Amino acid sequence: MKVIIKRWHAVAQWRWDTGVSSDDGDEEGDVCGICRVPFEGCCPSCKVPGDDCPLIWGECTHVFHMHCLLRWIGTAASNQQCPMDRRPWVTAERKVKNLVPGAGAAAPSAS
Amino acid sequence: MASISSRRLAKELMEIKNDGCPVGINLVKADDFSTWWFTIQVMGESLYKNEQFTLQFRFDPQYPISSPAVQFVVTDGKEAPVHPHVYSNGHICASILGNEWSPVLSVIAVCVTLQSMLASCKEKQRPIDNDRYIKHAPENPKKTRFHYDDDT
Repeated sequence: MKVIIKRWHAVAQWRWDTGVSSDDGDEEGDVCGICRVPFEGCCPSCKVPGDDCPLIWGECTHVFHMHCLLRWIGTAASNQQCPMDRRPWVTAERKVKNLVPGAGAAAPSAS
Repeated sequence: MASISSRRLAKELMEIKNDGCPVGINLVKADDFSTWWFTIQVMGESLYKNEQFTLQFRFDPQYPISSPAVQFVVTDGKEAPVHPHVYSNGHICASILGNEWSPVLSVIAVCVTLQSMLASCKEKQRPIDNDRYIKHAPENPKKTRFHYDDDT
């Protein structure tokens, strides 16, 4: 049998790598706790999801839409605390590949 | 453009309508995104057995960044529960409505917290400064700077 491909449609999907496993059945983990919109959607003041409406990670491991978190941190009432655990908000520096076990930790000891 | 509050409240309302409220809490009216009413009862043995109260939530366009104004309804024959943190005008001294508000909280979370505040009450009495407070209280309880002095 000979098949001739006349047309094809590429389909792609993207997700933020939140560093949190999403297959633990906890749907709450996939939405911003402040606006309740999925991380892959955008905050209420944006129209386009993606790089223009990024996520922000705290050192406490909690994740929000950056715009939502900054709007909260900008209020006096927030006391600059994480909405989830009320610890002082410290934005975490994210290193690419830091999820690979041992990849980052092994280097210093070798030098 | 829809305000932050209307989108978030639409989601909360949809969840309430799909999943229902926790036991003892019932939605009375939520026709818009500015004022909602709930009835609240304390289940099981408590000082408020067989009593029902009405809670009013008022939202500004910044909700949930800005906390809702929450109080018990004291008009149309309704009364506020007699509780050391509830003034007779319906205003409530509860830290989560003030300095411990967090935008990850929700209307239902507030209802449940207030329900358990009533459930754990040991003695039915008004706040000691009730008379003084209600004489000068602002219309909106959010304008009051409550002093939260215990964790009950």
